[in-house]
Amino acid sequence: MEMALLYIAGALMMGLGAVGAAVGIGILGGKFLEGAARQPELIPLLRTQFFIVMGLVDAVPMIGVGLGLYVLFAVA
Amino acid sequence: MRKGHRKPGVHARIALQQFKKVFLIQVVSMIVIAGVSLSYSVSAAYSSFCGGMIFLLPSYVFAWRALIAKQAKNTPGAVIAQLYTSEIWKMGLSIALFSAVFILIQPLNPFSLFSTYIWLQLVGFVAQLKLNNRFLKL
Repeated sequence: MEMALLYIAGALMMGLGAVGAAVGIGILGGKFLEGAARQPELIPLLRTQFFIVMGLVDAVPMIGVGLGLYVLFAVA
Repeated sequence: MRKGHRKPGVHARIALQQFKKVFLIQVVSMIVIAGVSLSYSVSAAYSSFCGGMIFLLPSYVFAWRALIAKQAKNTPGAVIAQLYTSEIWKMGLSIALFSAVFILIQPLNPFSLFSTYIWLQLVGFVAQLKLNNRFLKL
């Protein structure tokens, strides 16, 4: 029972982290496409901003994934 | 020059310079944390070193693929595809490194591993926002 709960906890950590990253990066990509459609000459600038913000968006979900993997591999 | 391989533009070069500064700050932070942890125990030191490497290697690969390796055409679809592919590589590499460390390295001090990993994320946040004034002018 305890093992099952640990597996469920690890799966929830990784799954919810993946949902957060997916929503954030999806919104980011959508806004990039909107901006590029409005002003195509700004694509190089928007690309670098996209690169920077993408690095910030996926930070917290990756911590969740790391903790989930720790629960799965080291605790369980 | 290979077909489809273009030199980075002005904005990509500026972003690359900023990334190099942030990366250097993070490497120095990791070394300092590992050195301080060494006074506590050897396992804490190599665990914090592993946490730092788990963060630094994928972020370097991400920047290399997104800014240096192969510049896509300046169409929105090509840029999105290139950056999403780089992000998938980064996530996959992070997961592989986390799994490898948890399986292969025993004994491991999880507190120093995760605290170094989270600290490097925070340093990246702050340094990126300080270096990029465009975010502060909103």
